[in-house]
Amino acid sequence: MRSAVAAIALLLATGAAAAPVRVMSISECTDQLVLALVPPARIVSVTWLSRDPTTSLMAHAAGQVGVNHGLAEEVLRDHPDLVVADSFAAPTTRALLHRLNVPMIEVASPETIGAIREATRQIARAVGALPRGAMLLARMDRTFADLAADPPLGVRVVAWGGGGFGASRGSLFDALLTAAGATNVAPDAGRGGPDVERLLVAAPTLLVMGADAAPDLHANVAAHPVVRRWQGRSVTVPQAHYFCGTPFIGDAALALRRQLHAAVPR
Amino acid sequence: MSRALVSSLAAGLVVAIAGSLFAGVVWLSPATIAGALSSTHTTLASLIVVDVRLPRILLAALVGGILGLAGAVLQGLLRNPLAEPGLLGITAGASLGAVVAIYYGAAAAFALATPLFALTGALAAAAAALVLARGGGTLALILAGAAISSLAYAAVYLALDLAPSPYATYEILTWLMGSLADRSWHHVALAGPFILAGAALLLLTGRSLDALALGERAAASLGIDVARVRLLALFGTALGVGAATAVAGSVGFVGLIAPHLVRPLVGHRPSAVLVPAALTGAIIVVLADLATRVLRGSAQGIGLGVFISLVGAPFFLWLVLRTARRTE
Repeated sequence: MRSAVAAIALLLATGAAAAPVRVMSISECTDQLVLALVPPARIVSVTWLSRDPTTSLMAHAAGQVGVNHGLAEEVLRDHPDLVVADSFAAPTTRALLHRLNVPMIEVASPETIGAIREATRQIARAVGALPRGAMLLARMDRTFADLAADPPLGVRVVAWGGGGFGASRGSLFDALLTAAGATNVAPDAGRGGPDVERLLVAAPTLLVMGADAAPDLHANVAAHPVVRRWQGRSVTVPQAHYFCGTPFIGDAALALRRQLHAAVPR
Repeated sequence: MSRALVSSLAAGLVVAIAGSLFAGVVWLSPATIAGALSSTHTTLASLIVVDVRLPRILLAALVGGILGLAGAVLQGLLRNPLAEPGLLGITAGASLGAVVAIYYGAAAAFALATPLFALTGALAAAAAALVLARGGGTLALILAGAAISSLAYAAVYLALDLAPSPYATYEILTWLMGSLADRSWHHVALAGPFILAGAALLLLTGRSLDALALGERAAASLGIDVARVRLLALFGTALGVGAATAVAGSVGFVGLIAPHLVRPLVGHRPSAVLVPAALTGAIIVVLADLATRVLRGSAQGIGLGVFISLVGAPFFLWLVLRTARRTE
């Protein structure tokens, strides 16, 4: 009996030691996953970018933890138990942190649903939040299964997201469109979306625009008389839904499916 | 006069470097810095001072120094007040090398890929300029350099167009703006020897530059081997500025402005400008890097190259106007 209690105590102790207590994320897209997996009390800071709801799904949670600017000095000052970074963190900063033996994991920026699974599991494992990670992924998979059970809409769409984000083949935006049941008819349009001629040739039923708070060069194209022919035949997706790959892409796809349903002309 | 100037500039550089150690994300007191520099075990302060700030500040001094020196040599060599490393395509060549490293993912594979590719680009650009201008005069060299510069920048923008992901575009843009953020001793070890070797070659040109001030023919009649001077100046610039651009990105303007700042103080003998211009360049970049660290506000901070041009351009304009008025 006593030895069993001791064994459990030991298990608890090693379990606690294995999970890093204080986590710091230095890239916006790892911020999203860290904020989704780790309670705020255990997060030292995330990047200042994650407080902007335009691109950050977790802006509210980010407001409850500190902010950093992805600098080595900030990491040294706050000495977290674990730093989480992706390829958007400056290579020089990551190299310097490696040199200084700062505990750090680097994940690839997920651009596909499969990569989202991988990144979520990798971070969940490193921060000792495997059950929460599995829960989020299971919810994503359930949402996708529900979406797949519905007959696909097959609505022909062309998308652009503004801010240099388009729905080219292999992008997260493209994955989102497909999951929502739309057919992306301009998947080769490149980053930033199609030009007006391509739009005319593709002749989509609906335009899918990224809601973008900041004006950009692409807004000029949206104001083109030809583009305005799609006025009233477009839906708007928050940029935060495809800016970073997170398990919440299931919810984003569901929301988009509803919008498409409502917008498809009958 | 010149010796007093050099020692006061050197003193100014030491003060700028020392002052730079205090400021950043964490502000440190002189006592903490002294403790960090002398202590044998690792503390937060020693990590920040020894492993983060010192390499960065030393790089700032090296980068600024070589840019100032190369600017002074090229202005003397080409007898053109607008000459600077950027004019001869060396900065552009280094930029192209770095962008290729970023674009093809070599930068992701190992952190020093960008510097190595950049150095190669700089040497290739200098070699191309020399070959193209072979047999021609100063003007031929300037034109060849300008052509190579345009070509290299066109290729840089082509890479931006073709960049495979927003990530690569972002990386390339940040790099083009110039920065010394989070550079480590690795970067000092990589760029330092090349910068010092480049500086040595450039300093060898001093005497010949004085003779060249009389014109190429007059210099040749004084026994100066113009082709050799040119080779020294270009190869030295490519080594030094290539290595500097490799680790700090493209930092413009310093090479142009540093010689102009000191020229009124030393008289117009080209060789007398070299060392003061190097020290002035070093002071400018050390202070500018300090400013980018202090003036960060809410956003990510300002690019080093952007900051220098932003502050430097109005000042340079004032200098030009003042000189023009004086010579009228």
